[in-house]
Amino acid sequence: MSDGESSTATKIGIISCSGEEIPEGTVSRLATRRVLETLRPGNTVTLCLPLFLAGNEGERNFARTHPTITIDGCDKQCARWGTEKHGGSVSRALVVSDILATGVADCSRSSRSRGPADEAAVAAVAERIAAGVDALIGEGAKPQMEPDPAADGAACACMKPADTGSICLRGEEVEIPALPVVFAQCASRGLPADATGAPLLLETAKVFHYIAPEDEADYQAALVEAYRLFLGG
Amino acid sequence: MRTSAGEMEKEETEDRVLVIPCSGIGKVQGLLSREATYFVVDELAPEETDTLCLALLVKGDADAVEEVRTHRCIAIDGCSKACAQKNVEMAGGQVGKAIQVASALRNYRGLQPGTGTALTKDGWAIARDIAKTVAAEAACLREGKDGEQ
Repeated sequence: MSDGESSTATKIGIISCSGEEIPEGTVSRLATRRVLETLRPGNTVTLCLPLFLAGNEGERNFARTHPTITIDGCDKQCARWGTEKHGGSVSRALVVSDILATGVADCSRSSRSRGPADEAAVAAVAERIAAGVDALIGEGAKPQMEPDPAADGAACACMKPADTGSICLRGEEVEIPALPVVFAQCASRGLPADATGAPLLLETAKVFHYIAPEDEADYQAALVEAYRLFLGG
Repeated sequence: MRTSAGEMEKEETEDRVLVIPCSGIGKVQGLLSREATYFVVDELAPEETDTLCLALLVKGDADAVEEVRTHRCIAIDGCSKACAQKNVEMAGGQVGKAIQVASALRNYRGLQPGTGTALTKDGWAIARDIAKTVAAEAACLREGKDGEQ
């Protein structure tokens, strides 16, 4: 694999402090989201900072398996600290209060009160993060260790979509998020693939997929059939 | 015995319930936890509740650790990983009530609350509902009750 190919495959991890007490925390969170969603969606991933302590080993390895940029609201730099403690070195450490100086004075903690000052602050910080991402990619930044393919995933649990399954509804394939997990849980509880198990299958699937009341009967039948196949019947 | 205004203010501050959301960055559940917290501490019960940066607690900041050890806490988590609850408990704090947004959303099937970036009208209504529950739980905790189960 060439260096170019390798750097293309490397995703930059962005970890935001999201501090709840101050507007800068909200700016850090929203700027990170903007980079992930809009500015550099193909090059970035994230992880909830509290997961470093509360999560499993795969989550703690996040910063070892990604070159990482931390984005902190204030000079306490909790995201940088947490990342370095559990993940090793940080490639870039940005602090909102340094970037914006007094520019955060009119910003709000809650998005409910969001105004032009908040938008300007988020845009400025997001651009700085994106510039950091570009610089790291340009430098050919490499993770400290390769991800373990057998691990539970070093990517953000929130950002990782649940596996999708499909059922055949009235002759058409319909995808339902998390269906394999639903089936696995039902199977572990010994739920039968028949009319007695159908109501629970339907109720559980409805947590992940909107089902109109008039469609429930058809969905129930389709779920039972898919569940029967899942069980190997 | 007369109590000075300063002492009364200190007592009221010490009696506040800390509402700590996970603010999970990946999905709408995290944003709901965050905005529900602001509804509580800024609007519904500003004198009775306060919030704390979870990241500061994760860092092990001495003041933050002291805060959770000396106040009753309510954790609002987006998902079952319960990062807010776990980190409060790891810091030696007691979680008087733990709320999971993902579970609460089962009461709102069919509604689209938004994304991790922005809430819809439905999302704001859900955040407010969760906040009302949290404010009620905070009142119970302040009165020495266990809160609703």
